[in-house]
Amino acid sequence: MIYLDHAATTPADPRVLEVIGQSMRRDFANPGAVYRIGLDAANLVEKAREEIAALLRLPASYRIIFTSGGSESNNLFIKGTAGGKAACLGLEHPSVVAPLTCAGEKNGEILSGFQKEGRLDPAKICELDDRKVRLLCLSHVNNELGSINDPGEIVPVLQSAAPNVRLFLDGVQAIGKIAIPPGFWDGVAGYSVSAHKIYGPKGIGLLIYDSRFPLAPQVHGGQQQFGVRSGTLPVPLILGLTEALKLALERVGEAQVHLGKLRRHLIAGLEDLSGRLPNLRLRFNSSVSQDHQSPAIVNFSFPPVEGEVLLHHLEAKDIFVGMGSACSAQSKKPSRILTGIGLSEEEARCSLRVSFGRENTIAEVDVFLMEFSRAYETLYPTFARKVG
Amino acid sequence: MTKVIVVRYDEIGLKGKNRDFFVNCLVENIKRKFAGLEVTRLRAPRGRIFVDLPAPMVEACCARLREVPGIASFSAGVALEPDFDRIAEWGIRWIDPLLTPGETFTFCVRTQRSDKTFHKISTECDFEIGSRIMKRLSGKGLKVDIKRAQFVLEVEIGPKQTVVFHHRVPGLRGLPVGSSGEVLSLLSGGIDSPVASYLMMRRGCRVHFIFFENREFLGRGGYDKVLRLAGILNRFQGRGRLYVIPFGAIQLAIRDRCRPAHRVVLYRRMMYRIAQAVARQNACHALVTGESLGQVASQTLENLEAVSRVVSGNVFRPLIGMDKNEIIDRAKKIGTYDISIEAHADCCSIFMPPNPATRSRIPNLESDEAGFPGQSLMQEAIRKMETVELDESR
Repeated sequence: MIYLDHAATTPADPRVLEVIGQSMRRDFANPGAVYRIGLDAANLVEKAREEIAALLRLPASYRIIFTSGGSESNNLFIKGTAGGKAACLGLEHPSVVAPLTCAGEKNGEILSGFQKEGRLDPAKICELDDRKVRLLCLSHVNNELGSINDPGEIVPVLQSAAPNVRLFLDGVQAIGKIAIPPGFWDGVAGYSVSAHKIYGPKGIGLLIYDSRFPLAPQVHGGQQQFGVRSGTLPVPLILGLTEALKLALERVGEAQVHLGKLRRHLIAGLEDLSGRLPNLRLRFNSSVSQDHQSPAIVNFSFPPVEGEVLLHHLEAKDIFVGMGSACSAQSKKPSRILTGIGLSEEEARCSLRVSFGRENTIAEVDVFLMEFSRAYETLYPTFARKVG
Repeated sequence: MTKVIVVRYDEIGLKGKNRDFFVNCLVENIKRKFAGLEVTRLRAPRGRIFVDLPAPMVEACCARLREVPGIASFSAGVALEPDFDRIAEWGIRWIDPLLTPGETFTFCVRTQRSDKTFHKISTECDFEIGSRIMKRLSGKGLKVDIKRAQFVLEVEIGPKQTVVFHHRVPGLRGLPVGSSGEVLSLLSGGIDSPVASYLMMRRGCRVHFIFFENREFLGRGGYDKVLRLAGILNRFQGRGRLYVIPFGAIQLAIRDRCRPAHRVVLYRRMMYRIAQAVARQNACHALVTGESLGQVASQTLENLEAVSRVVSGNVFRPLIGMDKNEIIDRAKKIGTYDISIEAHADCCSIFMPPNPATRSRIPNLESDEAGFPGQSLMQEAIRKMETVELDESR
């Protein structure tokens, strides 16, 4: 099997599984209980919090809230932050766009004209204040394109041109692929993380936020986690997430080099194919340069062949890739992100996303390229024939 | 204490000389449905089926009886000697917890005697039992109301045993599966075809399923979905088969060689032809579809006629006169709706015409069909057909 869909999820690291297995057997007590074994479990959670805070170099006022995953973290922060309008580019994950727009236009706005190459155009920031935006929600790394919104560039402009606007970043695709430099958190009001994207368990994530600003809970109950997110804490998952985060952050430099090599090899291979296959109209939807681009993701279009059909042809060869659109007659809408950066509906439908992980090799990329070109050549005549 | 479930059957009661056949069919279906459960005895004296079973089995058996077509209603109760004191004891045991201080609660007793030699007639039995219960509970607000009782204690006095119970659970009604024969249902993964299949099961049919798949283009999602739907439907009949036909090559041929507006009807005509051939090979005496008149472009009168023309046998469309909301209600009741609405790719957009014909003319369809090798593609698809034996799941 060649797995090239790491932006969807990753296989759990054996070291993470070991930690979870041990904890499942050992740390069963409710961390909210006042007897010894409950306190022991609570101590493990606190230790994990401290470790995560150290790994991410969090300032003292930043809180770590354990959630069920990235979607819940995004929902919690966006819905829980009161006062003023929230906005996004419309290119973010649905768990950012949907909570922002579900409360109506008065509370949420899609800044569709604010993007350039799949990320925020800093030149547009000065318009935010006029639009009464108080919270700007962006993907740190875009889930389909891999484009990066760098807070190091955005925050200084925000602070001078729109000082009332706070920044929230969906970091689900960023952690482990791009480094968190010193000073990263200045001006970042909230940040979400998901464990299963970094070889951790499914069902747990983090919301990191600056507790100097109030955050209203969305799940009410036993007042766990500062009253911000009620619910019994899943100790084994928390320890698993912490281990996964440790492994991801410790090796981020190494990962960047490895993923970057794979990415360059794929891009070069696709360009080569495009030269050799006269019918292949290739378009890279993610940036081919390393500038503002995650090394883990390559998104490209190849009309007229539909991405989903190509995906299933690759599946038949035991190669698994992702796509941003469905060819189902029921859901004819192509990817909102791809059309959002200017692709036609056909180009958006005829696209695939390859996302690399630690275990991928150059040889696997070569097999992918070979099978992609075979499948493309098989399918091209069918799709090219204009019959209705 | 032996527990008893009394099973009343539905239309079988109206049958004449062949009634035993239907009753035996129902008894066999119930036996199969009880597989893995501990049941002491199952017997069918005239007009009823009695299940003797240990108390811990009652709940599980009742849950399974809810899924057996052919049952009008059933009641769980106890088997006793025909002793009025003991019968009244059970009435008191059931009624007492329902009484609230200061409030009136009404009840009545209804006795049926299949043992006509019993020394009292039914109304006398009602009185004997009712008065014993009243004697104990009238001080707590219990009153008799023959017409609109809140609680009806039912007593069936038979030659071998007397059964006492108080609650009739409605069954699925209809006829026992298998009593009418076998049919083949075109299952798509949508909302309608599972409901149509279910309705035919209730008419006594064992329903096998046929699914037309384009895995090359759409992946395995549709197959998994149909397998789950068939699994749920199979609860009502115990066993059945799923035939999976690879349909991609046929769709491609039609797409490439026929008029786009005709595509959908031409796909359906090929599906009908293949389904009929599979039905004949497997002794199924009808095709079943979830078509409902006017629901989509392929289900206009003209298009339904155009697809029906390619087959010579029975085609049953039990939903033809139902509206969508009725069908959805049914699907929710039988438990297929939530699976049916899961998004899955049922047809790649390259196979869909931009403007499907709503009134296809048969000569035009036939001229299109002359342009591709339908017969050989059909043989090839049947040769590559996968058959899935659906287990006797509960």
